[in-house]
Amino acid sequence: MSQAETVLVAGRRPQTTSGFLALFRNELHLTFRRMRTKVLLAILAALPILIGVIVKLNTDSPRGGGGGAPSFIAQTTQNGLFLVFTALAVALPVFLPMTVGVVAGDSVAGEAATGTLRYLLVAPAGRTRLLAAKFTAGLVFCLAATAAVAVTALATGATLFPLGEVTLISGDTIGFTDALLRAVLVAGVVAVSLAGLVAIGLFVSTLTGSGIAAMAATVGLVITVQILDAFPQLDAVRPFLFTHYWMSFSDLLREPMYWDGVWKDLGLQAAYVAVFGSAAWARFSSRDISA
Amino acid sequence: MTNETAVEDQLDGGVPYRSRRRTLVRAGVPVAVGAVIAAGVGLVPALAADSPPDLPQLSAEQVVTKVLGSDTQALSGTVSVSTDLGVPSQLLGAAAGGLGAAAGHGSDQGGASADPQSKLLGLLGGDQTLRVAVDGPDRQRVDLMENMAGYTLVRNGDQSWAWDSSTNTALHMTGRPAGHTGAKAPKAPLTGVPATPQEAARQFLTGSAGTTSVTVAGTANVAGQKAYQLSVKPTQSGSTVSEVRISVAADNGVPLAVVVKSTDGSTVLDVHFTDVSFAEPTAKTFDFTAPKGAKVTEKKADEAAAGHDAQDKKGDQGGKGDRGKGHDGVNVIGEGWTAVVSTQLPTGVEAPAQGSQGNGKQGKQHGRPMNPQALVKSLGKPVGGGTLISTKVVNVLLTDDGRVFAGAVTLPVLQHAAGVN
Repeated sequence: MSQAETVLVAGRRPQTTSGFLALFRNELHLTFRRMRTKVLLAILAALPILIGVIVKLNTDSPRGGGGGAPSFIAQTTQNGLFLVFTALAVALPVFLPMTVGVVAGDSVAGEAATGTLRYLLVAPAGRTRLLAAKFTAGLVFCLAATAAVAVTALATGATLFPLGEVTLISGDTIGFTDALLRAVLVAGVVAVSLAGLVAIGLFVSTLTGSGIAAMAATVGLVITVQILDAFPQLDAVRPFLFTHYWMSFSDLLREPMYWDGVWKDLGLQAAYVAVFGSAAWARFSSRDISA
Repeated sequence: MTNETAVEDQLDGGVPYRSRRRTLVRAGVPVAVGAVIAAGVGLVPALAADSPPDLPQLSAEQVVTKVLGSDTQALSGTVSVSTDLGVPSQLLGAAAGGLGAAAGHGSDQGGASADPQSKLLGLLGGDQTLRVAVDGPDRQRVDLMENMAGYTLVRNGDQSWAWDSSTNTALHMTGRPAGHTGAKAPKAPLTGVPATPQEAARQFLTGSAGTTSVTVAGTANVAGQKAYQLSVKPTQSGSTVSEVRISVAADNGVPLAVVVKSTDGSTVLDVHFTDVSFAEPTAKTFDFTAPKGAKVTEKKADEAAAGHDAQDKKGDQGGKGDRGKGHDGVNVIGEGWTAVVSTQLPTGVEAPAQGSQGNGKQGKQHGRPMNPQALVKSLGKPVGGGTLISTKVVNVLLTDDGRVFAGAVTLPVLQHAAGVN
């Protein structure tokens, strides 16, 4: 940014809702029209189909299966709706954060790399608003990614397994409509628990001019943090890692629902959004854009 | 360009562009946000935990009477259990197998997975959250909230259920077990392991009179309730337990927390309500039927009663942090805090069968014959007269001639009991 620019816009401009919405719509278009985003969503959508088919083929030995959710698989064979929870539990540690890391990490750095960031900043939008729009687009991608997993999981589950009353992990049985509501709730919680990662990705993205570097750093961070979370020796630190409470969504599948872990998760995500969001803002709004 | 830039330019006193200074100021924002959050996270619990409530002075007897005379029949809440016994994990597995055999239902391999014994043994290692609901002596429910799985114990009159979500199996017991008459105090279903603070506190208070000093050590807030802190200390020397602290609700005498400290100053057991309500739980809570598609193992009461005898014995000893064997030929030497349990170690022939019954994870012991003496020797360290397995509270001495002495006592007491000193 140059001195001339500063002088030019020294006056206060009216910030209209429609102006913000236009910028936001623009960002959404940019994110979702990309071939890369579509491929990522397609991979996420393929995952539940894969899990469903594997579970169907191995119905005789429901105790099998390692990874994130061995315990849900027993229920999946009883009710197709449980495939939603199984798929989310499998996708949440690796696949979902990976795609979110790609989208969030690329959001600013990618534009800088292709040289389009300057042009964006020439438009009278303001850097803070641009950042807010990018963050919101990232959140919408979280929702879309979670929905992609959940909806295909529901479709696959309905095709391969019986539907009907659902047995919760506390042993209680609830009706299908109730269970469907819980599935929507769980998907929402999963999507929101990725918000902290979006903020981190956005911050990393403002640090570098290379989209690939930002994506790799964000995804690498997710993996590192999850490895750290596996060490019992780090007990003092673990509750503050943004991945620590991710799996707490399973507490919503008890009767009555147990919100403790979920609230902690949401609070932690809010803290990460506040810290890394403001860090991204501090960096982006005072940075020289040279490309 | 943003408004912020414009405003800041004015603050800078007309100097339009100061990149370095502005960068520093902006970098301060996330640091400040982080500091505020960290302070909030650190300070809020500290402020909330302090300021013990004002309660009228009571003597220790009055508080104990409050506990024993408590007529609270119904409660529900969330219990946090945190144990740090320093028990080798292999030993827990072997103990689970031994208990399975002692309780007399080792024959059914498939149904054993919903078995309460092996599951509750898991409480001895690490942190757990339980949801507890009690309504009188006949209806109890305990929900063990595992990571992405659940384990539920429900007792409603003569119907008892144990349900394990991870294996989709259930254990159904009908009939009233012999050891569980209605006159008895509210007890956790199916087991003598203290699953609620009440249970644990009651065992301490009734079991150890005479060898114990009980004092009131101030007040505290537990789960939003005003509570007296009862400090229970052994008067005998040689015990590895230094203090048991029980928080008793001032209103109704329900024990809300039990903390056990060992002589080296570390906390070995911390059971406390994080949230409690004394309203009657809804009847629906205790209605349990086998979930659709679950593998159900049926058991009759007389069959279960044999198991309960072993469990009750175990529960009595469990109060002192000991996991009794339930085998025949168990002797108790001494009394109170320094009681030592002695038994003869089974020979190698029957051991593999025991090891395989505990849980699925022990399956690798199936094939190879296991000599328990060799196993103990590999875990312990050689001392005068035998091998010692040392945990934070319980010490186990295996003498060279195959006898086992265990207790929440120091090594010299064990050696004295074994007569090898």
